[in-house]
Order: sequence, then structure tokens, then C-alpha cells
Amino acid sequence: MQQREIYQLLKQKYGFDEFRPGQYEVIAALLTHQDVLAVLPTGTGKSLIYQFVGTVMPGLVVVVSPLISLMQDQVARLNYQGEKAVAALTSQVDFGTRQATLNHLAQVKFLFVSPEMLKQTAVLTALQTVKIALFVVDEAHCISTWGPDFRPDYLGLGQLKQQLGQPLTLMLTATATAQVRQDIVTQLQVPTAKQVVYSVNRPNIYLAVEQVSNEAAKRERLQQLVTTVATPAIVYFSSKKQTDLIAEWLRQTTGLRVAAYHAGLSAEDRFKIQQQFMTGQLDVICATSAFGMGINKADIRMVVHYHLPTTLADYVQEIGRAGRDGQQSLAMLLYAPGDEQLVRNLNELTAASTTQIQNDYQRFQHQQTPPDELAAVLQFYWEHQYSVAQVEALFTERQQQKQRELQQLLAYVQTTTCRRATLLAHFGEPKPSHTATCCQSAGSSLPLETLGLQAATKVEQTPITSWETLLDQLFLQKI
Amino acid sequence: MFADYLLLLFATEPRRAKAIYNVCRGRRTVSTLFAGLTYQQLAWLDSWHGVPLAKFEAAAQTLIAAGWLQAPTDGYLALTAAGQAQQAELQQRLYQPVAWQQFRQADVRRFTALSQLALQVVSEYSHQTKRYYPVTTDPGVQATVKRWFRQWRKPMIVTQVVTELHAFLATLAPTQATIFMNSVTGYDFPGQTDQQLATAFKRTPVEILVMRKDLSCQLVAWLRQQPTGPLAALVKPLVKANPVSTSAWQTYQAFQQTADLSQIATQRRLKLSTVREHLLETAILTPGFPFETILTPELLAPLTAVFGESASVATWRFEQVQSVAPTLDFFCFRLYQIMRCQRATA
Ligand SMILES: [Zn+2]
Repeated sequence: MQQREIYQLLKQKYGFDEFRPGQYEVIAALLTHQDVLAVLPTGTGKSLIYQFVGTVMPGLVVVVSPLISLMQDQVARLNYQGEKAVAALTSQVDFGTRQATLNHLAQVKFLFVSPEMLKQTAVLTALQTVKIALFVVDEAHCISTWGPDFRPDYLGLGQLKQQLGQPLTLMLTATATAQVRQDIVTQLQVPTAKQVVYSVNRPNIYLAVEQVSNEAAKRERLQQLVTTVATPAIVYFSSKKQTDLIAEWLRQTTGLRVAAYHAGLSAEDRFKIQQQFMTGQLDVICATSAFGMGINKADIRMVVHYHLPTTLADYVQEIGRAGRDGQQSLAMLLYAPGDEQLVRNLNELTAASTTQIQNDYQRFQHQQTPPDELAAVLQFYWEHQYSVAQVEALFTERQQQKQRELQQLLAYVQTTTCRRATLLAHFGEPKPSHTATCCQSAGSSLPLETLGLQAATKVEQTPITSWETLLDQLFLQKI
Repeated sequence: MFADYLLLLFATEPRRAKAIYNVCRGRRTVSTLFAGLTYQQLAWLDSWHGVPLAKFEAAAQTLIAAGWLQAPTDGYLALTAAGQAQQAELQQRLYQPVAWQQFRQADVRRFTALSQLALQVVSEYSHQTKRYYPVTTDPGVQATVKRWFRQWRKPMIVTQVVTELHAFLATLAPTQATIFMNSVTGYDFPGQTDQQLATAFKRTPVEILVMRKDLSCQLVAWLRQQPTGPLAALVKPLVKANPVSTSAWQTYQAFQQTADLSQIATQRRLKLSTVREHLLETAILTPGFPFETILTPELLAPLTAVFGESASVATWRFEQVQSVAPTLDFFCFRLYQIMRCQRATA
């Protein structure tokens, strides 16, 4: 396909004259049957790439995706854009529906699936009967960050891909260090994949970190931020409980339109909160990190981290949800001494001692089913003929890696020099020049005026509408 | 809280806790159904479908810790004096469902999912929007609603749906109708979450959830009475033809021809024990079950002699009648228990 034809199709099908950075390069490579690892910042329209290629190439586009909520978002978005032949195989879809999808794969254009679902025999067998145009691994950094000690089925993707006849492969991520990129192409067995890597730098996001003395001070500072800085805003928490509590507290004390969002909500409530946020009916969302992966809201002005993110890569990804419209935005990380303990606790959840590993190997030899999550992870290694010593080494290495990542994160929090320079150095990018709208140096106040990010007048919390009025509003009777 | 509603299901006499949980979770084993019958809780059958057992157990633990429930014997729970007072207070304060027996008679959960998308589709259609995020991405629900919409899509569909909805909502208390409409997803209106409605109406999110489940049940009941409109067409295929499983229903049909259970077993290629289980299931769930076809006067005599005066069916023990009529089997005893429950409530 010629460049001219590609642009024609872009105009005709999506109504755009120009591609976003990186899109064209990746599409052009895929169309010449070259595997691609694309590191493109959040908000550059990564899904357009596989949608576009799917339109041009005959066959099925398989998208491996890590989270059910993300898959549902992606399906809804493709539906919204008029793609009808879209399906997701998740554990939330009932057996009959899943079976029906597999029986009619030939009529599906885009199939979203988790690695755990993909390895199931029924799914693999069905996929072997159709032509796969493109095999997409979305959020491909999960291979490196989740694979070893949390979701090892990510490590099995390379083999599954082989069983599917080595289809053309696209690996997508928003942030990846050189090490993570290496992990991805090794695990997926595509060492010669073309790497399209764009800077993770988002110059329109002002980088701020504020140290507070304790939890109470942190709450108070958060309250100030959401009332004085422009909204819409997302506030990230690492616990579901805190998310609910602080959302409710903010709602009551500020009069802002605030809602909580986390994996504990029903699919219906998740949909409603997302849509309320998208359509400007909420000022602040308090969320766990699951929120926003599938969200495409351009005008988010502020992202606050109430707790530390797990890694700098996650941080970049999460703050990247701000300012997709290119307008000035703010990323604020609130830090109280000892916050790093929360991250350590999370990291320890996936740790395993020598005794645990040895005992689990015994369990495996006695052909007992895995009793817990750790055993389910270890099961993968035993089934793939790893030795106890190998697994031990792997888990030790992974914990050390997490320690290093936490140190790098703390280095960003505590730096006394340019934060953007510290951040970019982590991804092997050159040092940018520091300006007044670049970052907040330790201890200085927020230049809200310079940034043009003062809060606008707040909208009142919407009162409840009567059922008769709503009936009229929702169903315009055009007779 | 979820636990509040659980407390409503216990009494001062001990009840088998797991049986109560399983009634709510829709487990249709004979022992679960029988417990539901004796505790007069069959209306709750399937009302908390999909809620894991662990959640019930955790909720029961909080009720024990609060001093409202006690465990007199293993597996059984009973209200304490304080629990009795608390239950009475909750019965006053909490929203009480009125139409949950629909869970047994129709696939209400499926209807809820279908009607939610159907209302969104019609709302967007009335505003002539083609691009919107569907409230559910479940392909089965999408396909059914798509077929339904194609079938009913005439200029009148909006009016028809509004007429149906308006007539239904007008039968409700205004607060209920308002909660119903505010949770609907439609054009430029994502709908309010249970949490948001709870705040607005000063209820707990679980109460709103219970209320909305009940509103779905009420809508199903209403549409079954008004069967001509497009929304009623969504309900129709979801109404259960029989109150019991298809296989149990077939056994029951055969039973209506002959009272010889061995013959039914041979004919249906089932074990005799399965035939009996089927009949017990049917007896529990079918009003007007012909008990006397099996419980002949000779069989009834010892049962009436032992239990005739006692109304607390759940406390009877099989051994009591066995000592006076050693040949009487457990099946007859259980059937007699069911008969007495049915006729006491009738
Ligand atoms: Zn700087």
C-alpha cells in the first residue's frame, strides 16, 4: 500500500488528515509484514493502529489485553466508532456466549482476550482455524513487570504465538525502559522486531512533588488542591478502601462532584462513572490505578498521586492521562515519610521464600491443584520444566528489581534538581532544559497563575431530577 | 449493609445458615428448597445470585460479633434478644422488597441487562444519535437487543416504550419511580450509581441495590400483565414455563399418569431416588401438588398420629415416626412435611 493510499484511508474512514506521532511509521512497517514494538506516549491513539491495519489486512486481529475493565472499554470504544465485529473473551462473559463467539470467529474482526484465556485449548483451537491478520500485545510492558511473579501466562505468550503460526505481531506500550523492551522482544520471540520509540516526555504536564508531614496533612493538602487547581482531576490511591473514604469526604467537604472508581464496583457502576467523567458531569475521580487505561478524555487538568505509584514507568503512564489536548496540566505526587512502606508491602505480596518454593514443588509432584495465587504462579514454571533453583533465582532477581525500581522512584521524589531530567534519564532520554513551567523544585510553591491552572467556578452538585422530567429528556418523542 | 438484610432472614429458633445462604444464591437442591419452604423464604430464591458463600459467611460473622446472632449448634444460627430488637428495627427502617418471587418465575437478571441496553438504544434513537458507548459489551445481550430493536423499530417505538414505562412508573411511589429513572442510561445521561442514589436519598448503597432489584421484579410482574408492548416482548421469552427444572417437570408429568414410581423410573431411565427427588422439588415449588396420590390413608395414619398436633415442621425428626411405623420411608416423611408447610401457608 502506498503512502498516498494510507492517507486516503485515514481521511475516508477516520476523518483525519494527519496521523498522531508514530502512528504512520508503525502502520507502514506492519503493512510490509514487519513485527513492531511501539513505545508511544499515552493518548497517541494506539488502538487506531491495529484498527487501521485490521481494516486493510484480511483476517482476525487478536488483542491480548491485561484487564477485563480495559477490554470492556476497548470493545465499547470500537463499538462507538462503528466497528461491529468486536468481541471480548473474559471470565465475565458466560460460557454459552464465549462458546458462540468461538464458533463464529470468522465473523469477528477484533477479538480481545487475556493471556490466561488465550492459553485455553478451546480458544487456541478455534483461533487455529482462522487467519490471524495481526497479533497485538497491548500494555506489552506487563510481560516484563507482571510476567515473572504475578501473571506468568504473560511469559507463555511467545509459545502460544508459535502455536498460532507466528502471526504478524504488534507490541504496544506507553512506557518502557531499554531493559523492558529487551524483555518484551525476547519473550515474544521477535528479536528482529522494528522498534518505534517515542519520548515519554510530556512537556505540557508540570511535574510537582510535595512532601507533607503525615496523613492528616496530606488529606488537607489534597482538599486544597482539588478546590484551587483547575479540574477535571484524577486522584490515584493504592487502596480501594481509601479511594471510597476520601472520595466521600471530598464530596462532603468541598461540594465538588466527586466519585470513587475501583475494581470493586459493578461493571454497570464503572460504566456510569466513566461516562459521567467523560461527559463533564464529575470534577474529581478518586481511583485505583485500573482507572484510565481505557479512558480517552482529553481535558484532564490534574493527576494527583495520593500514594506512591509502584514504579516510575507506571507513574509516567498514569500522569500521561492528563493534558491529552496539549493544554497545560499538572501532575502532583503527595509524599509523606514512610509511604514507601506501602509499595514494599505490595511488592512482598508477590515474593516467595525458598521454603515456599520448595514446598510448592513437592505439591506439584504430588499432582495437587494449586491452593493459592502464589502456587498458581509457580505451577507455570513447574509445567515448563524449570528447576527449583532456577525459580528461586528468578524470584530473588524480581524482588531485587522491585527494590531498585522503588529506589529510582524515591530518587525522583527526593531530587533537588530538575524532576523532568531525573524522569527522562530513567528512560535513557537526554536532559531537557528546565523552564518555569517544567517542574516544581523541592519546597517551592505551585505557580498556578503562571501555569494558568487556577480553579474555575465550580458547578453545583446536580440535584435529583423527577422521573417525569427524565422520561421527557431521555426519550424525545419525534412522532 | 448487606448484613442487615441477612439478619432479616433469621429467627429466634435456630436455622440452618448455609441453607439460607443457598436459597439466596439460587441453589436448587431439594434440601435447600426444603429449608426455604420451612423458613418461608422461597421468595428469596435466587435473589442474591452470584454472591459468593464467603460473603454471606463474613456478613454472618459481623452479626455474631455485634451480638445479634448466636450459634447454638454447629451450622445453625439464631437471633439473640438484642438481635430480635435489631431485626424489628430494621424491618421498619430498611426497604423491604415486595416482588422478589419474580426471581423464581422469570429470568429477572437477564431482563435487567436486556432492558438496560434496550432503553439506552431507544433513548439514543429518539435523539437520532448513532454514536454512543453501549452500557454493556456483553455480545449475547447486544445481539438480543439488536434483534429486538430491528423487529420493533417503527416510528412508533419511542412512543410505545414511553407509554409502557410511564404506565408502569405511575403505579409506583414517586421516590421509587425517581430512583428507577435516575439509574437508567440514555442520551446524555449515563445514569446514577447506587452510591450516588444512596447519597441523594439518604439510604445505603445496598438498600438502593435491593430496591433496584425489586423494581426490576416489579417491572417484570407488570409487563407480564400488560403483554402487548415492546418491553413486554423482552420479558416474554424469559418467563419460565415450569417452576422446576425441565427434567423434574417431565417426571411430574409422568407422575400425573401413574402413581407407580418404579414404573416412572424405568420409563424415564432414572434411578428411583432421582424420581423421588424430582417429585419433592415439584411438591415444594408447585401449588396444588396432589400429595394424597402418594400419601395414602395407611401412610398418613402414623404421620398424623405423631405430628398432627405439632406445627413446627422444621423440628420434627424422622426417628419419631420410624419408631411407630418402621416400614415408612424418609421420602414419605419429607413429602408429609412439605404438605403440612404448603397447607399451613395456603
Ligand atoms: Zn525541570
